[in-house]
Amino acid sequence: MSKPKQLLLACALGHFLLILAVCSRDTFSIVARGYTALPAALRPFSQKAEAILSFALGERLSSSNPARRTLNLYLRCAGIEAGYGFFAPNVPDNYKLVFELHYADGRVEYELPSAANVAAGLRLSTLIDNIGNTPYDPLREVLVKMMAYSVWREHPDVTMIRAVLGFILLPSPAELRRGIKESYKTTRAYDFVFAESKDAR
Amino acid sequence: MFRERLENFFFPARSTEWIAILRVSLGLQLILYVLSLWRDWNYLFASENRGLINRDLTEAILNLESPFVPRLGWLVSLAHKLGFAEGPVLTLAWVGLLAAGLCLCIGFLSRPAAIAAWLLHLAARSSGGFVTYGVDQFMTIGLFYLAIAPLPDRYSLDYALGWRCKAAPWRAGFHLRILQVHLCLIYFFGGLAKSLGAGWWDGTSLWRALTRPPFHLLNPNILLHWSGFLPAAGIVICMLELGYPVFIWPKMTRQFWLAAVLAMHIGIGLMMGLQLFAFIMIILNAAAFGADLVPSFTRMLQKSRARKAKA
Repeated sequence: MSKPKQLLLACALGHFLLILAVCSRDTFSIVARGYTALPAALRPFSQKAEAILSFALGERLSSSNPARRTLNLYLRCAGIEAGYGFFAPNVPDNYKLVFELHYADGRVEYELPSAANVAAGLRLSTLIDNIGNTPYDPLREVLVKMMAYSVWREHPDVTMIRAVLGFILLPSPAELRRGIKESYKTTRAYDFVFAESKDAR
Repeated sequence: MFRERLENFFFPARSTEWIAILRVSLGLQLILYVLSLWRDWNYLFASENRGLINRDLTEAILNLESPFVPRLGWLVSLAHKLGFAEGPVLTLAWVGLLAAGLCLCIGFLSRPAAIAAWLLHLAARSSGGFVTYGVDQFMTIGLFYLAIAPLPDRYSLDYALGWRCKAAPWRAGFHLRILQVHLCLIYFFGGLAKSLGAGWWDGTSLWRALTRPPFHLLNPNILLHWSGFLPAAGIVICMLELGYPVFIWPKMTRQFWLAAVLAMHIGIGLMMGLQLFAFIMIILNAAAFGADLVPSFTRMLQKSRARKAKA
């Protein structure tokens, strides 16, 4: 095998090793968290395997470590920083965000986040799901506040915006046959008061 | 012996047909992507007080991963220094993506267009952060492979103009293998993750996927009528994905497996409204495993014509 071929092969193997590590880490992660139908006895092993793979991918290094930054740069540029378990192992809950617009005269109006077309609507829906699934509460609040602010820009005369985050409980086929419709379960509510360009919670 | 096999597998001599398929269809995908977002582009990517989610926040989070990942903020900062506002710069990025998509479609300045498309899309994806989903990840994968592939291919305008790639045919074969193996890993791990959840075996997950907003295009009552088929359909999806790395390679099963996977993606596109996602998956499959089928399809047509002529 010629030198250029050897070099290309080494690069390809490194690339595939990274894809394998990322995908395996994600798979072990869902097992470790108990999201799968596998026996609970496999969880400790999966936790260890996930930890080893995270270590191999440099995730245990400090965020300023050059090796970690370089690796993350490559993973991002090649589009291989995440696994491919879409809608797996189970289809996640669908979050919904409703804004209550409170006016000075006591009137209350309701508004849902909206986009100009279907493609942007899909992205908006992804954003709301990301907000719902964010494990870090302060970040969730900041994101909801930004969305509330974009609503306030359209309605600057409201005195307060209450953002209600919840998820939709979808009926199963059997429930739908019994006439049960989808329902909405509130998980969090945030009140925001915006005034001119300054905002306060 | 092993080295020889390895060499034969990773460096087969191939024409640039598959690169032409990838280039043209990725160009089309890029055009559809930017057109689908043209009204909301600035709303999705603007910074404080102008957009939906402050781009600065997304880019600050991105910095924790790596400060070197391309982002729209770099273009905006550069333009600020030259005295331009954010709005026109974002619009320029949109126009740049559209132009790159058009160039890729016709094969004009193929290499610069592929690199520009990859970097601009990566920047938008990185700055979009919270509003990106699977389609963006697969577009990055496709554009990354296109940017490093031997370009221009022989069906491009560049080739007609005399700008030809001097790379050996094994280079085209090598890049094809990378894409093929990557697709096998994608489907295998996608199928594995699905098959680990009980919902994909009893039809619950498929029901939830089809009734979950914003993918609920089908009337639930119609779906209810066919709900008896959902467990079988869920199992077929798991098997198709898990079996992909095995059955996509032998010529005997390739046509069937490829057709089944493409049918699955068309179904996802039509029934869940994920047209762009379906299209990028079809593109990657067609480029990776469809190009080899073109000659056999042509042969089949020629045989059929010959038979008709004889008759």
